[in-house]
Amino acid sequence: MFQKYKQLACCCIAFLLFIMLYPYTALSVENDECMDCHGDDSLERIESEGMKEGLYLEYNKFKYSVHNVNGITCVDCHSDIEELNYDNEIPHEASLAIVNCDGCHEEEGEAYLNSVHRKAKGKGISIPCYACHGYHYVSHLEADSVFERENGFCLKCHNPNKFHDWLPQKETHFAFVECTVCHAPEVPRYINLRFFDLSRNKFLSGEELLKGLNTDYDGFMPLVDRDGNGIISVNEFNDMILILRHKEVRGTFHGELLVHLEPIVHHVNRGGANRECEQCHIPSSPFFQDVQISLNKPDGTTAQFSVERDVLETYYVSHFYALGGTRIRLLDKIGLAMLVAGAGVVVAHLTARIVTIPVRRKRKLEEKV
Amino acid sequence: MDERKMIYIHPAPVRVWHWINAVGIVLLVITGLQIRFAEMMNLFSLEEAINLHNYIGFVVIGAYGLWASYYFGTGKIKLYFPNPKTFICDCKTQIQYYGMGIFKGDPNPHEMTPDNKFNALQKKAYLTIMFILLPIQMITGLFLWRIKKFEDYIDLLGGIKIVDTIHVILFFFFFVFVFVHIYLSTLGHTPLAHMKAMFTGYEEHH
Repeated sequence: MFQKYKQLACCCIAFLLFIMLYPYTALSVENDECMDCHGDDSLERIESEGMKEGLYLEYNKFKYSVHNVNGITCVDCHSDIEELNYDNEIPHEASLAIVNCDGCHEEEGEAYLNSVHRKAKGKGISIPCYACHGYHYVSHLEADSVFERENGFCLKCHNPNKFHDWLPQKETHFAFVECTVCHAPEVPRYINLRFFDLSRNKFLSGEELLKGLNTDYDGFMPLVDRDGNGIISVNEFNDMILILRHKEVRGTFHGELLVHLEPIVHHVNRGGANRECEQCHIPSSPFFQDVQISLNKPDGTTAQFSVERDVLETYYVSHFYALGGTRIRLLDKIGLAMLVAGAGVVVAHLTARIVTIPVRRKRKLEEKV
Repeated sequence: MDERKMIYIHPAPVRVWHWINAVGIVLLVITGLQIRFAEMMNLFSLEEAINLHNYIGFVVIGAYGLWASYYFGTGKIKLYFPNPKTFICDCKTQIQYYGMGIFKGDPNPHEMTPDNKFNALQKKAYLTIMFILLPIQMITGLFLWRIKKFEDYIDLLGGIKIVDTIHVILFFFFFVFVFVHIYLSTLGHTPLAHMKAMFTGYEEHH
């Protein structure tokens, strides 16, 4: 009797396991299976307009993409592929549904809804996520410079030279200020400092800089931030430069004005750009309040450490200067001292001239006599 | 008997250059202050101040070209070069005059003539200004006008902050110079004598 129950229980467990695992085993399509075809660099299709569309996917690039690194598989995005039928020439539908990025990136999708790029749909222009982000090789952007961020995104479509003639030093602004700093004003911005090695003539990666300091990511702040308040002060910053110099690492920090990569960065709108120079070019500008040293990692991520704003006024950040905004206030004091000294000499001399008028009058009279 | 006579000291090109330069530098100082202290001053918007500063800067550079053409072209540039043999002695005499003699009513030890219109201290000051400080100010101003265009030269000098520091220190120098220069122009035989001469070209000689 007991044996009979045991057999029944085993059957039930087996059935349950089958039910639980069935969808997975039936629907799971491994990336390798996709690559069997899409790893062929000659794979392409002819579109209705007669244009060829390459269907090749460079796996060595894809495997470092942010999605693959996070375990997102091909069919997680191309979710309309439920199974592969190898009896057909093409084992899935020839035309796949548009990938719905909002499914995972909800906040980004929401911010994009009211943006000028989404509104372009009214004019018949469709700008899907991958128009900017690319298809399969989406990588981390945190470590990217203004140049890389702009070239990878805005400059694919926009020619900023067409619309910024009013802007003094427009090329300099384009080189040091990310487009979205002005065009998505709700996004928090920060000054990104990266170490440029003058002898090697290149920006140092996080590892290279840490090697110079003889520490690692975890040891960086305890080494540099000696008072342990979580922010690198001007003195601590200067000491860090001295440590690097002792190790024969000579360089300077380059600054750029970037945005934090938050979902709201997708909320770019016409007419919303900052155009008042005074918003940026005064010392109290919010644009310069958040300053970070970035130690970039090979995977495109970055470790950031807060720095006091006054660091921007030092000569160790010699390639970043926002007129008025990050001016060296010591120079103002020197200028004031020069003015006081000049005015002092003039006033003293003039006073002496006035006081000695009777002396000169008397002498003139004596000479006449 | 009136011993006064009028001597033609400042030829027309010099006067034209001088007044263009004077007005230009005053305007550069005002717009420069607006640019640097945008949070404290409200004479122009920052955009207007920068554009004005740039235009005026080019006018001053043009005026410098006029000055250089005239003085080098006529050979009168030698007016700016002190006599090395008497320079130190002349400086001492002139300092004694400005520091003491002028209060007692002593005559100016330097007698102004068309061929020797600057005293030793003026020669020293103007030589430094016209041959070193003003060209540096113009060059750094040019670099700051188009940072990307002159990026390589800026890097060669150590970065934008170094170039800006030089420009700002010289800016304060010229600011002070305007005051001191105007004051020194009142040290003629009457307070307005030198000023008048810079309009008419004729200096009154006693």
